[in-house]
Amino acid sequence: MSGLSRRGFLQSGGAVALTVAIPGPWRTAMAASSEAGNAYLRIDADSRVTAILPTSEMGQGTHTGQLMIIGEEVGIAPSAITVEMPLRPTDPYRLFFGQMRSVGSYGIRAWYEPLRKAAAQARSVLLAAASKRWNAPVAELDTADGRVLHERSGRRAAFGEFVTAAAREPLPDDPPLRPESRKSITGRAMRRVDTPAKVDGSAVYGTDVDLPGMLHGAVRMSPVYGADVAAVDAGSIADYPGVEGVVPVPNGVVVVADSWWRAKRAAAALDIRFTETPDDTLSSAKLSAAMREGLEGNLPPVVQNRDVAPRLRSAEQTVEATYEVPFLAHVCMEPIVCTAHTRDDHVELWMPTQGHDIIRMTVERVLGFGNEQMTLHTTYLGGGFGRKTHGELAEQAMLASKAVGRPVKVMWAREDDLQQGYYRPIMMAGLSAGLSEDGRIAAMHARLSGPQMGRTFEHVTVEDNRDFFSVASLIDQPYTEHFALDHRHLDVPMPLSPWRAVSSSQNGYFLEAFLDELATAAGEDPVAFRRAHYAEHPRHRAVLDRVADMAGWDTPAPDGLHRGVAVVASYGSVVGQVVTLRMDGERPVVAKVYVAIDCGRAINPDSVEAQMKGSVIEGLGAALRHEVPIADGRAQRSNFHDYTPLRIDEVPDIEVAIVNTGAPLGGVGEPGIPPVAPALVNAMFSATGKRVRRLPVLPTAA
Amino acid sequence: MISFTLNRSTVDVDIEADTPLLWVLRDTLKQYGTKYGCGQALCGACTVHVDGAPVRSCVLPVEAVAGREVTTIEGLADGGPHPLQTAWIAADVPQCGYCQSGQIMSAAALLATNPDPSDAQIDAAMRGNVCRCGTYDRIRLAIKDAAARGRSEQET
Repeated sequence: MSGLSRRGFLQSGGAVALTVAIPGPWRTAMAASSEAGNAYLRIDADSRVTAILPTSEMGQGTHTGQLMIIGEEVGIAPSAITVEMPLRPTDPYRLFFGQMRSVGSYGIRAWYEPLRKAAAQARSVLLAAASKRWNAPVAELDTADGRVLHERSGRRAAFGEFVTAAAREPLPDDPPLRPESRKSITGRAMRRVDTPAKVDGSAVYGTDVDLPGMLHGAVRMSPVYGADVAAVDAGSIADYPGVEGVVPVPNGVVVVADSWWRAKRAAAALDIRFTETPDDTLSSAKLSAAMREGLEGNLPPVVQNRDVAPRLRSAEQTVEATYEVPFLAHVCMEPIVCTAHTRDDHVELWMPTQGHDIIRMTVERVLGFGNEQMTLHTTYLGGGFGRKTHGELAEQAMLASKAVGRPVKVMWAREDDLQQGYYRPIMMAGLSAGLSEDGRIAAMHARLSGPQMGRTFEHVTVEDNRDFFSVASLIDQPYTEHFALDHRHLDVPMPLSPWRAVSSSQNGYFLEAFLDELATAAGEDPVAFRRAHYAEHPRHRAVLDRVADMAGWDTPAPDGLHRGVAVVASYGSVVGQVVTLRMDGERPVVAKVYVAIDCGRAINPDSVEAQMKGSVIEGLGAALRHEVPIADGRAQRSNFHDYTPLRIDEVPDIEVAIVNTGAPLGGVGEPGIPPVAPALVNAMFSATGKRVRRLPVLPTAA
Repeated sequence: MISFTLNRSTVDVDIEADTPLLWVLRDTLKQYGTKYGCGQALCGACTVHVDGAPVRSCVLPVEAVAGREVTTIEGLADGGPHPLQTAWIAADVPQCGYCQSGQIMSAAALLATNPDPSDAQIDAAMRGNVCRCGTYDRIRLAIKDAAARGRSEQET
């Protein structure tokens, strides 16, 4: 069984092996170097195939997809491949911005070619070795199920037979790839390799790390962001059993004990005071007012276009609307957690992380250690959604371990997870557009007011006011070349984080809800209006037509049902959705959601379907009822009773179609999110005639 | 000292009597298949069986299981995989998988008392188990599949 099983942490040895470096997608022909030692495919003399994979498994099915790509070319069942991950960030596995991370829905689209190449190289030298041994031309040889086959003579032998000889063959730069007609793994639905360990309790998540002598840490953090500890009396919990220490960390303390429950109970009872800050009176109302004020006057430009203002002035009619989205939490089912063992000159970490280089940077900042002084074991992630990209838990665990001299597993309680920030940013958008006489969009001006999240990350520089974390799916809108975009930044004290689909999660809503307003102003059907603007965007048109067809858009909706549509491109894919709902008073009751995605050739169509359904459910929950309001500088949500993901009896039927227009591979984990909210509010407009310009849709407690 | 049966073996633990069963299972007995999600019986990730009934172990004091039989995901298979585990694999239910121990334990308790549940009965039994990845349709499919497997086994 492959996957990160407990024994997966053991480094496998082995004297003779065929090792093929996996090249970086942004560096062609990665030369053999010490770095390549951490990014490779290996076949041992016992025929075992091991892949060091570049991406963390957080539920998106990336390991299965990557193993399918490897298995196809090498000629072995994906489930027979042993999965490992590098023990520290490794250069070939860095994304184009120079960081090894499991983000951006890159798992398949970035790694398809590199994994395929390495696997084809391995196959190629195995065949070369077998050709010599069997005195048979390479053209007559093939691989399947971990064996080399010679059909004419009926010979077959396990990979291991050829490993020593194959390791002496030169690796071809341009190995022959398995032709489309001979593919038997990719492109077909495949069960995930990690499923067996996830149904019997044996899969190891970050929370399940267990080391000899390990202690547990629970936190007591300042409820107001940015406040520090003013005074703490460790003696106040002296009577609590099992407590081993109270360790200062930024904005709070870690209470260390011999079980997490004992640590948590003591942390709750700890006598601690926090400093006052200018944000002690911060509220959602004040933040909204600040964003609204930020929309006044001329905003700093992101994309300037001199055509836009005159075209807006001369348009037949203009439409303006302002939208707003709240802070969102990730509430991964597995809370934020890290286990660290800090020694004098080395630190070992066990973590469900998406941000390998962020952890490296955190180690360097906190302990002054270089990459080689860190060993980072990546566990399964019990959900990620962008939340597990950060280093705050590594910092807490490293400091706690350093203080007590033993390994410490620090885990945040659900309340900490909801209240300590790392939210999807709030944002306000003022959109204006002009319609020409023929009912087409003559120009559009989008103005954003809210945090530029990139400014809050130490490794990011926002240049030319263009924040990578704020503009996606707006800056590349498909509707008009006469487009301008501004953004006025707002400082907020709470930490911010990419959330699933990052800025596309809100920009998809702004743009596609507004598009519906434009269609109404133009007096045109929302599908027809969009289609008329997609002349230069065949992928948009293909998914729109498909999803409209699935939903029976051209026939009247059954009595009491209403439909809304949205199409958003993000992460290299295009997704169209139609939401069908009825109204129960002011409440929308979603009956069905139709999804069409163009992600290029789907490597594992079953995973694509699962990701689309999961995205719709997550997106609907967020659009309907999720927000983290702020009052007195503090988060006003604490657990699943007031921030409740959709439950089994609340999810609609969801139908998914995969549209392949021949486009390059696109992402799958995130692009299903952006169309959900606009399709929902557009359907609500169809039902009620009222626009929903602020999310969430349902009123929630302040 | 508190004694109870865990997955058909007797265990004794020396711990504060009000410690939630979840933390006894995880930190004392090193049974990590049962998960923490909320600590307030809101999400179901910590679901185990006590004398066959589903309970949220994150709010159940360990003293309440003294002398009783506790079954966790590690003990659900008995001589072979539980039909639900087989069905879960067939339907390829999990994504991140973190909630699935609790999902399966809730479903197992349902099927033990109702071998042929309707959609509404599945909803009622499973609505306490949150899945952030949104695997609900496959959970429903797998429960129905396991129920069908169970019925066909009884007929043969």
